[in-house]
Amino acid sequence: MHSISRRRFVSLAAAGVVAAPTALKALPSAGALTAQDVVDRIKKNIGVDWKSDSADTFKAGDPSAAVTGIVTTALASLDVLGQAVKAGANMIVTSEPTFFAHADTPTPPARRFPRTAGAPPDAAPATPRPPDLVFSAKDEFIRKNNLIVWRFSDHWRQRTPDPFAQGLANVLGWSKSASGDPRQLTIAQTSLDALVSHVKQSLKSRGGIRVVGDPKLHVGKVAILPGSTPIQASLKALPAVDTILAGEVREWESVEYVRDTIDLGGKKSLVLVGRIVSEEPGMQLCATWLKTIVPELKTSWVAVPDPYWRPTV
Amino acid sequence: MTDVLTAGEVVARIKKNLDVPWRESSKRDTFKFGGPDTVVKGIATTMFCSYDVLRRAIAAGCNMIIPHEDTFWNDPDDISVVSGDPSYQPKVDFLRQHDMVIFRIHDDMHAQKPDFTYVGLARALGLESKYETAPQSHHFTLPETTLGEMAANFQKRLNDKAIRVVGDPKCKVSRLQLGVGYATPNINSPDVDVVVSGEQQESDGMLDSPAYVLDANTLGIPKGWIMLGHCVSEQQGMLEMAQWVKSFTPEVPVQLVPSNEPFWAPK
Repeated sequence: MHSISRRRFVSLAAAGVVAAPTALKALPSAGALTAQDVVDRIKKNIGVDWKSDSADTFKAGDPSAAVTGIVTTALASLDVLGQAVKAGANMIVTSEPTFFAHADTPTPPARRFPRTAGAPPDAAPATPRPPDLVFSAKDEFIRKNNLIVWRFSDHWRQRTPDPFAQGLANVLGWSKSASGDPRQLTIAQTSLDALVSHVKQSLKSRGGIRVVGDPKLHVGKVAILPGSTPIQASLKALPAVDTILAGEVREWESVEYVRDTIDLGGKKSLVLVGRIVSEEPGMQLCATWLKTIVPELKTSWVAVPDPYWRPTV
Repeated sequence: MTDVLTAGEVVARIKKNLDVPWRESSKRDTFKFGGPDTVVKGIATTMFCSYDVLRRAIAAGCNMIIPHEDTFWNDPDDISVVSGDPSYQPKVDFLRQHDMVIFRIHDDMHAQKPDFTYVGLARALGLESKYETAPQSHHFTLPETTLGEMAANFQKRLNDKAIRVVGDPKCKVSRLQLGVGYATPNINSPDVDVVVSGEQQESDGMLDSPAYVLDANTLGIPKGWIMLGHCVSEQQGMLEMAQWVKSFTPEVPVQLVPSNEPFWAPK
């Protein structure tokens, strides 16, 4: 088992990440907005029919607690939660799961693969497995600080224009080129190589970018497909553009499709920036929008650094 | 008759030589183009049955392709998904023009003990069996190193241009769980410091390893996640597969025609 070293623990405590002083739960006073009030405002103003079967629900905390401030983010990492606490915000609006899975619960899912070849999957172990330190530390941090985490993904991306694509277009300086739909843009012609450098710099990407295509390819038409892109979406987008700028795809689908199209003479390319990185600007835009519908509260966006790095050859 | 080898005969010998019963229910491990009657002049194993691989296989005298993955950009090779795209027909035309036959081997290849793909990847990464915790556990206890050194070593060994790593490069790591392709093990096992595999959904899945590693590191728990890319991670096993097929098809040449890594990465 891992244990957290004393030195590390002390430094985390100092940073407010671990063992932060237990905050007093904010009680709703007259006129104070609860987390549920904020969500109701979102539902009322989003302009998208609210689905009952959706990931957009409370993942932690008490919806009836008064909100002291809102932080939007692509990923409610412990680091982001710590920054929210420092900023005095107790409501976190995140586009990706908080508890490391679609299930998004404070206990980990069963291991997917049996350890010993031929052994049955250990979904029901003879003795209960010890608690997962990372899951429980995050749960505890949220409880101690009386944080409320609400996921905002399915409905936010249903808005027109798509805020995730719009956010990327804004950050990349291409929003003026958008004639309506930011998912398909015409930009000043450049080379794929130069475009990739621009994307890397604009998104503060560390090692998450991967590219398929000739670096010298001329690029003027771009499809922006943030998040996760299935083959059907790539097939629909690629014929009309020079490049697809996406978060993540399945490699046996879109990567091989673009590779074949290029080898058959198509002047095409694919730029993958990573799913979380691709959703960052959309959550920045979310903070801007929330300020307009919840003007009583302080709302800010907290950035998540590109999770990936790559060794230098 | 005796000097003519059909694709059907090659498949029959594959089934016969496999250590495990053939999974007739597999929708993956079937003919994707051509059929059992196609006469085989040479056999090429590969990761992805790309147009580029088809051309190089024909140039090498191989008209039977045994790929590990799909041919038409979706796992079930459902033609209705892709047939309207301009890149579909030229690929089919090339296959027909060169009288090619494609037989995918995926599920049965992973069922073999040991699994070709794990053998190939462990060989290429230099993960010696003396470090494996238990046979075919794919769990290795290695001399302690840092995540940064480990990733740099693997990148060099595989010439993996688009390798991606999550986790503090200075983390001290020793216990490695190996995965291949999309069969990426969970990073939250207490006896695992590093997961090395091909590809996995970044988030909103069964276990979101990148987010888990970030939070583990914040808590001072050493964890790392090294993604080699789907193609790079399983390509090595197709060399093992080529050698194995060669051992029971002496009539024709058999070789690996590698699917090159599809990506490049900016500096």
